Amino acid sequence: MIKKLFLLAIPCVFLLASCNQTTKDAENKKADTATLAVLTFFDSASNHIGKPIRIEGTVIHTCKHGGKRMFLVDGTDSIRVEITAGNNITKFDESLIGSKVKVLGVLKEERVDAKYLNEWEAEVKKPAENHSTGIHTGAKGHEDKGTQDKLDEINSLRNDLKNSGKDHLSFFSVEAISYTVVK
Amino acid sequence: MQRKTLRRWNNAVHRDLGYFFFGMTLIYALSGIIMNHFKSGDFVHPDYSKRYEQLTLALPAGGLADKAYALKSLEQVHEEKYFKSYITGTGYIQIFFTNGSLYIDLITGKAELEEKTPRYVLKEFNLLHYNNIKHWFTWFSDAYAVALILLAISGLFVLRGKNGIKWRGALLAFTGILIPVIIILLYA
Repeated sequence: MIKKLFLLAIPCVFLLASCNQTTKDAENKKADTATLAVLTFFDSASNHIGKPIRIEGTVIHTCKHGGKRMFLVDGTDSIRVEITAGNNITKFDESLIGSKVKVLGVLKEERVDAKYLNEWEAEVKKPAENHSTGIHTGAKGHEDKGTQDKLDEINSLRNDLKNSGKDHLSFFSVEAISYTVVK
Repeated sequence: MQRKTLRRWNNAVHRDLGYFFFGMTLIYALSGIIMNHFKSGDFVHPDYSKRYEQLTLALPAGGLADKAYALKSLEQVHEEKYFKSYITGTGYIQIFFTNGSLYIDLITGKAELEEKTPRYVLKEFNLLHYNNIKHWFTWFSDAYAVALILLAISGLFVLRGKNGIKWRGALLAFTGILIPVIIILLYA
């Protein structure tokens, strides 16, 4: 019996050790981490690309396709910050909606250029699943958009790209390493 | 190896893999039904069942949609004890409580109450099906996928005679392959 329990304990020890390592990695990152606010996130995001940051906000939306994304707001929904789940995070559960969370993560930039928009348009026009491409806004109903809504969004982004005078638009998000719910 | 011995091994593999992966089969089958209907739009959310109610609620006095107004609005739907937070946007307030939210149009007073109930157990099955957990579950689910291939192949040779692969089995297997082929040809 004791032998059996011992065998069972071996994988448990490995599991605990790997969890502990994850926590240590997260703590090391905390030391040189800038704290950004939701309301000013997009003003300062370009200075922190690829760097660890901390951000706090209220969860307004979690992605129902696997829970790999959530969106943070601060009092108003005019500014939404996209948080994606890093490797250590299983999912962002729907029960987080309305909760205040503190996130430690790495700031990511996604560049959208004319080629990206052309490919997105081609995919949207396919009858099959087309959720994998495109910009996730977290707006009410954005996951249930029809083909025409998506094509309108693509055209709107084409206009934004043209008006920006640059060859790409930048979309910023945070890839979460860890998060905690603020009670 | 003699044909009889081969068949004995085949049946033993089929039997033991079937027993061992019984749980995984149930997990993938049940969450598969959920995913299927979620993807085809029958479910709003794979992990939660949701109920919506259209209401008309009082507008805030003085036009100020603040926490007091949020709590007062929740009182009307008996959820004030479960208040979490609220946000405001152009012409609306959205109030969150433990099991849902209340969206109020601040111009018309029209409101939508969303109440959600977790699909207990199925929610965890979905988590496994999506392989959000990763780590060694990836390998275990790969092993299950390989076992399914072995189960399918060994299943063809379990029975002998006309009920086996020589007649009835071949007919059913062929029909089962034909159906997805037709669907691909028609819709893909």
